[in-house]
Amino acid sequence: MEAGSIPARGGRSALERSSRSRALDPALRWFLTGLAAFVLFLIAFFFIRLFIEAKPAFDKFGYLGFVFDNNWDVSKEIFGAWPLVVGTLITSVIALLIGVPVAIATALYLTELCPRRARQPLTILIELLAAVPSVVYGLWGIFVLAPHLVGPEQWVSDKLSFLPLFGGTVSIPNCFVAGLILAIMILPIVSAISREVMTTVPPQDKEAALSLGATRWEMIQMSVLPYSRAGISGAAMLGLGRAIGETIAVTIVIGNAPNVPESIFSQGYTLAAVVANEFNEAASDPTHRAALIAAGLVLFVLTLLVNALARFYVNRAERGQRSVPRGMAG
Amino acid sequence: MTTLPAVSSRRRATDRVMRVALLVLTLIALVPLVLIVYYLLKEGLGAWSKDFFTTDPTGRFLGDPGGIKSAIFGTIVMVALASLIAIPFGVGVALYLVEYGKAGRFANIVRYFIDVMTGVPSVVFGLFVYIVLVVSQIGGTFAAWKGSIALALLMLPVVTRSSEVVLNLVPDSLREAALALGAPRWRVTLRVVLPTALPGLMTGSMLAVARAAGETAPLLFTAAFVFGTQFDLSQRMNSLPLQIFNDVGQAQDRLVQRAWGAALTLVVLVLLLTLVARLVQRRSRLA
Amino acid sequence: MRYKSWLAAGAAAALALGLAACGSNDTSPSGGGGGSSSGSSSSQGGTINGAGATFPAPVYTEWAARFKDSKGTTVNYQAIGSGGGIAQFTAGTVDFGATDSAMKDEEITAAQKKGQPVHVPTVLGAVTVSYNVSGLQKDLKLDGPTIADIFLGKIKNWNDPAIAKLNSGLKLPNKNITVCHRSDESGTTANFTLFLADTSPEWKNGPGTDKTVKWPVGTGAKGNDGVAACVKQTDGAVGYVEQAFALQNDFTTAAVKNSSGNFVAPTLAATSAAGAGAEFPPDLRFATINAPGAQAYPISAITFLLVYKDMCKAGMQPNTAKLVKSWLDYALGPGQQVAPQLQYAPLPSKIKTAADGKVAGLQCNGQAISGT
Repeated sequence: MEAGSIPARGGRSALERSSRSRALDPALRWFLTGLAAFVLFLIAFFFIRLFIEAKPAFDKFGYLGFVFDNNWDVSKEIFGAWPLVVGTLITSVIALLIGVPVAIATALYLTELCPRRARQPLTILIELLAAVPSVVYGLWGIFVLAPHLVGPEQWVSDKLSFLPLFGGTVSIPNCFVAGLILAIMILPIVSAISREVMTTVPPQDKEAALSLGATRWEMIQMSVLPYSRAGISGAAMLGLGRAIGETIAVTIVIGNAPNVPESIFSQGYTLAAVVANEFNEAASDPTHRAALIAAGLVLFVLTLLVNALARFYVNRAERGQRSVPRGMAG
Repeated sequence: MTTLPAVSSRRRATDRVMRVALLVLTLIALVPLVLIVYYLLKEGLGAWSKDFFTTDPTGRFLGDPGGIKSAIFGTIVMVALASLIAIPFGVGVALYLVEYGKAGRFANIVRYFIDVMTGVPSVVFGLFVYIVLVVSQIGGTFAAWKGSIALALLMLPVVTRSSEVVLNLVPDSLREAALALGAPRWRVTLRVVLPTALPGLMTGSMLAVARAAGETAPLLFTAAFVFGTQFDLSQRMNSLPLQIFNDVGQAQDRLVQRAWGAALTLVVLVLLLTLVARLVQRRSRLA
Repeated sequence: MRYKSWLAAGAAAALALGLAACGSNDTSPSGGGGGSSSGSSSSQGGTINGAGATFPAPVYTEWAARFKDSKGTTVNYQAIGSGGGIAQFTAGTVDFGATDSAMKDEEITAAQKKGQPVHVPTVLGAVTVSYNVSGLQKDLKLDGPTIADIFLGKIKNWNDPAIAKLNSGLKLPNKNITVCHRSDESGTTANFTLFLADTSPEWKNGPGTDKTVKWPVGTGAKGNDGVAACVKQTDGAVGYVEQAFALQNDFTTAAVKNSSGNFVAPTLAATSAAGAGAEFPPDLRFATINAPGAQAYPISAITFLLVYKDMCKAGMQPNTAKLVKSWLDYALGPGQQVAPQLQYAPLPSKIKTAADGKVAGLQCNGQAISGT
């Protein structure tokens, strides 16, 4: 758009071009492009540097050995991270099993059933859960939640002791409490994304179901849930990614025992928690430090995979949105 | 499509049950929030006093344990520095993506990597800065500015993402009008697009700041911990999340109470930032 | 523009904050300069950083507060565990380290890259076997093999016959034992497991002795304070914590059988007796576990500060080296009078003489450190 200067009618246009300002155009463009390129460089450097520092541990124990060996023994300098991986998986699965259904329920309620006036305040309240820092969740978890849960946990553990992962004595800080706290922490994000997806359900779909005599719940089953399935899966994956990486709240309530937990009510350890707890002692021990960085790297790769899955599902959802709604328009 | 049979009482009952269930589950989701606020107020308010905010933690076993002054100042200083780094950087990258990169290959790669960055756990950022800056002993060992860098890394993808969304909302007609009047591209970007998007940018940035203020793991490895108030960025510095983390594991009741008081302070700080961000969003012309 | 007023408000707030900050800044950067202290005559100022054992943290932080009052120097002591202390000391990220467990040969070799590590013993403390059992008052007697069996998970209940055998006449409640131990690398653990290995072959062949071992049962907590919190939280818990932590939280502590066959409670006198009877090598790398003496508490531990023999060659500024030596002088001087107030035993005279010699021999770039 090479417009020349506007004929002056009482002063020059404030937006008139001069040769100096024309030179600033590519300057800004290059500056901003440089910033973006720097971000790319930073992330690449991030990954490469982590890998280089972790390599001694992988060299010593093997890639599969490091991840699947069941022996994290600091004094003997043996670092097999399997107990940590199991702990990470158990807490994250518990977080998903508890958090995602509740999040979907809140999303459904807020989009479909909530009276208009209550919608805004309730939404803000749910989002406030995300504003609580993780160390505060840990504080509340260990002093309020965990002690109060011991009784019910012991009862459940005794009743279900025939199942694996149940039975035995319950300890105050344990994997289940960690999973529960994680569920609370991922709830806002899963709920927010699910809500976003649910509000894009074409109203014709919903009205069509209602006009055919469906009850509200049946309309949700028929129109809202199938439509939002991909988006909700994406939201759940994002929640999982968050749960896997959470460090501080988990390390306060999980008991920090580097063993594969016998039951969900015994102590455990996660990849993130071990990094936070042991790095001080690893300051001068190259093998230990490499092992911790390797644990961080495994964590990073796990979250990468989970987030890639999430993106895949969310893209599927967006593609579904753009396609013609099936059957209803005809 | 065949019509569904008339609504039987069984179907109506299912409908009612499920609606109640959804409401109940939503209320259950709010129970933790209520409990957290209740306990924060119950235990934390008891710790608040003038001394609490004006004295440093002493670390002494017997005698006065002190307050959390150094933690409050430390958080403010380190988060401010991190914001000074991350916000211009993030907004700059978002500007590039929206104004120049658009749907190009390079821009898409940048978008993808920013997305990757949002998923990285904060402890890994801390670890990264620990390896690159602390272990290598560049500029001393543990230092507050290194903590700020770790926090800035955390904030960067959040700021970029939200800024990109806001900048995309600026109508093209505004840009075209300015260009039609003869403004050079850089003027359009800096004097038309940015000011229009400013409230939204501020909202997104403040939410990122609120998030950074509550992070513990990145600071564990970088700024470490110190009792006294000091503003030398090249030295260790205290911070609210670290202060809480240290006091959580203590057996002494008054130290635990200090943890609650500090937690209440931190939550109030984060809530204030979030509130201001939302208020700014309300007044935005693009909302 | 409305936002200009926001910016102005923000700038004003920042300015106010800055002014408030300047008013309250009371630490001076390392390297001298005046520090604000309450009425001190010789104010050397400055800051030194140390990290290490949680075992002596109560007495070190008390010393730090009094040292600042008298000399104006701030000592930042971070209690992260003996393992952390040795690691940070070796990595050079602190000015001095602290450990209850003397450095092993491999650790010495690793540290020798920077210089020769010097162990300066400071105080002795008692590793108590603390328990929190409603229904069990004081005067519980335990011996090494029984304690080992508890921590091995073989004794699971407080009314176990093995415990009853040592405590005839004491009514033992029917309650599960919850074990509390350390999750971090700890000198307290090293001393405790040394005692267990000395008295229980099964422990020696099992978890063994080290700053961190594979605990068969129990909850892990960070630091002496963490174990204390763990014991406090659970009815039926038992854990090993330093005497000061046990007293702070009103724990009941067990009387432990020593090498002479007597059940000795962890008192200040018993801890001092252990120190008096201990043998030590010239490099002062030793432990006082199971020290001889009829009234000695068997799980008494001596704790050390770690510095390099030539601090400046190891990378320290000369002025910081002066401050560190001044701190060590305080620890071995006025500090020894303060220790008993927190139930830590001061060094017996033979050990103190050796320690004084080590401190006097510290150097900066080949020269003796003077002017403190």
